[in-house]
Amino acid sequence: MGAAVVVRRRERWKWPVVAGMALISASALFPLYFLASNALRTNADYAGAKVGLPTILSADALQRAWEGASVPTYLRNSLVVVVGTVALSVVVATCAAYSFSKLRWTLRGKAYLLVLVWIAVPPLILLVPLYVQMVDLGLFDTYWSVILIYTALNLPFNTYLMTAFFRSLPDELAEAARMEGASVHQILWRVLLPLARPALATLVIFNFLWVWNEFIFALLLLPSETKTLTVGVLQLQGRFNLDPTALMAGLLIATLPVVGVYLIFQRHLVRAVAAGIGR
Amino acid sequence: MADRDRLWGVVYALPALALVLAFIAYPLASVVYHAFTAWDGINPPEWVGLENFATLFEDPLFRTSLRNNLLFALSVPIQVTVPMVLAWLIYERVPGWRFFRSTFFLPAVVSTVVVGIVAQVVFRLDGPLNALLGSVGLGALQTEWLGSAGTSIPAVLLVVVWANFGYNTLIYLAGMSALDPALREAARMDGARPLRVLFSVVAPNLRRVMELVLVTSTVTAFAFMFAYIYVITNGGPGFDTYVTEFMIYKQAFAFGRVGYACAVGVVLVVITAAIGLVQIRVLTRGTGA
Repeated sequence: MGAAVVVRRRERWKWPVVAGMALISASALFPLYFLASNALRTNADYAGAKVGLPTILSADALQRAWEGASVPTYLRNSLVVVVGTVALSVVVATCAAYSFSKLRWTLRGKAYLLVLVWIAVPPLILLVPLYVQMVDLGLFDTYWSVILIYTALNLPFNTYLMTAFFRSLPDELAEAARMEGASVHQILWRVLLPLARPALATLVIFNFLWVWNEFIFALLLLPSETKTLTVGVLQLQGRFNLDPTALMAGLLIATLPVVGVYLIFQRHLVRAVAAGIGR
Repeated sequence: MADRDRLWGVVYALPALALVLAFIAYPLASVVYHAFTAWDGINPPEWVGLENFATLFEDPLFRTSLRNNLLFALSVPIQVTVPMVLAWLIYERVPGWRFFRSTFFLPAVVSTVVVGIVAQVVFRLDGPLNALLGSVGLGALQTEWLGSAGTSIPAVLLVVVWANFGYNTLIYLAGMSALDPALREAARMDGARPLRVLFSVVAPNLRRVMELVLVTSTVTAFAFMFAYIYVITNGGPGFDTYVTEFMIYKQAFAFGRVGYACAVGVVLVVITAAIGLVQIRVLTRGTGA
């Protein structure tokens, strides 16, 4: 009888529902298909048709984009910025969350609020003062300028996420370790962190995507050979006005790394977010 | 024991506090101060009191920008409900759910720069959208989509909704994965159809998640539109698709009116802070949490 129920449940899905979902999936895949198909065609072909498969396969556009956007240099810059920001963010947010959730001190509640309240500040309004500040600090055109800014801008959300997660862990865990003589630091490193892997994965994924894709601070603060790939590609738009396939190829090159990272992590994503939103 | 907590509590919280104070609070204070000055960003600022704000409330460009922010906020109900239904269908194992789950998040992965440039091409007069319309016999609808405010704002809106739905779907899925399976089973036994189960049994238990999606989508409409506008329309045609952030950027970097830009920034922060507070208060009322 159980099997019969399952069969009936299956049949209940009307095809329009599945077709609708498939259509949404197709729209989600469209940009990747669009970039890939146009990166592999010639400009003459592009002028005729932008959507079908290329009539003549050609890797020339990829090569022009690779050289035009100095991909190796900019890719390295992007990696330095992304890895630096993600590492700093994880360490700072985790330490703060530990303090706000498991250590008891007088101004804890107020300090937690003082980190959180900036969550709704539009980053763009800080563009001018942060630019001035970075010039004054001598950090203009260095990786540190954007690493510090990105870390600060995402700290309210990151700290909220980690604090919610640590709070969901029973206090008895820390208490028991303390009874056995574990120090304040050992409780964090040996007891809490091993349990926090899903929450840490969430932090890493979200911050990675955010930093990789950010362009306005990077555009302003890293103008020289320190340019990130996203900015480099954005600037192809002006340079390759008459070479649209090279532009598409550049966009494809900038997109593949994030899609790759997503595909590697996607199996864990739902579980990680579930842990991250504090359930 | 308690003394040790007191010391290390402060030490562990210190880096986070230092970073937000140095790179958010301090520049924000600078914005507030310069909102009361005439400043071109190069010469010393000159105190002008409330003059910038007086100008601001008379400025038709500011009105246009704010109106566009409000128009973008109209998509919030869609952003809260559609992803919930999509997440539910995936959670209920609609045929192909694994594939849908993997692909739905892709728009959130691809950068705004890439999405924006592709959107620009798609919406062009000789772009794929018009080609599609022509091939299904709707040639009469073909138009330069980004060529007038009447179509460019809905076009950008569509891109924003599309770029964010995967993220919201993921958050709903995470919320659903933590639900008590007994809830759904009980409703099923009563013979309720899946969508009925969603709206009458599941949604009320997802209140916290809906709250999260509601707040983030509303704040997005005011505080995180810049990248889309910058890349897709650059504010045009004319000033038709300006949003407040874009106005701030242009005033500061194109016209050298940094003091004025700071005044617009202050108004924007007041708005986003109010949204955050009001929504959180409304939604936490009566949940007992």
